Amino acid sequence: MTWSLHRVDDRLIHGQVVVAWGQRVNPRTIWVVDDESAASTWERELLESAAPGVDVKVLTVADAIAGYAAEAGHGGAGILLVRDLATARALVEGGLPIPSFNVGGLHYAAGKDKINEYVYLDAADRDDARALLDRGVTLVVQDVPASRPQDLAQLDPAIATP
Amino acid sequence: MMARVPALLATHADLAAALLRAAERVYGAIEDVEIVTNEGLSRRDLERVIGERVERWPAGGIVMCDFWGGSCHVCGAAVTRGRNDVAVVTGVNLPMLLDFLHNRDQLDAAALADRLVQKGHDSIRIQRGVPA
Repeated sequence: MTWSLHRVDDRLIHGQVVVAWGQRVNPRTIWVVDDESAASTWERELLESAAPGVDVKVLTVADAIAGYAAEAGHGGAGILLVRDLATARALVEGGLPIPSFNVGGLHYAAGKDKINEYVYLDAADRDDARALLDRGVTLVVQDVPASRPQDLAQLDPAIATP
Repeated sequence: MMARVPALLATHADLAAALLRAAERVYGAIEDVEIVTNEGLSRRDLERVIGERVERWPAGGIVMCDFWGGSCHVCGAAVTRGRNDVAVVTGVNLPMLLDFLHNRDQLDAAALADRLVQKGHDSIRIQRGVPA
């Protein structure tokens, strides 16, 4: 299997992922890597049912790190979703060879600065982004395949300075 | 006499508002149908927005969402867990909304939900070409 898309999106599974990226990637598998969701049987069942025809799994960060390479041995394409940059960072620092994250949705919350219509960051998010960039991971802001990809570090120069 | 079943239309962009406006053209003034857009909302915020409305339904109601797997569906399902008196229906279209309006004084939310799914299916048809 090819991990075709690694995406940071606080909505996890939703329309842009299921419909827009789903059409582009045609995934066999979607992994939702989120400790909070993985801890809830009900939440796991909800997310696993949200993309009919796709094998959705909800995993903890630890389980994702342990199973990532083996999953790549299966056929088809895969999408990996995380809720925030902190989880993306945890996967990379845990050793996963992820070259790039698509930043698809980090919506407004109190104390966050607007970067564009669907990306808002605070100091902790910027620390996580900087850590990812320092490890050579690219961060590409793009909500749907039809929109223009943009470099997060260029959109938000404040990421460069701790 | 059954209590009138309330509804929430939860969709992408302005679809819910437009559906409601379109339904009013056909049905007349509509009460007890609220609208929500997911625009700009995180999962948590959308859950809060939908949850606030559903909490005001002491005797249940119906959440109508645009499509299965969208954030409105996922959040609607998440905040109504354990509420057996609330149904979440996806794929909402104008015939479904109109049928809901015409039957919500006679049926409860569960029976209405079954009816709306059938109505939605039945409303999608192909007009075959008539020979010239």
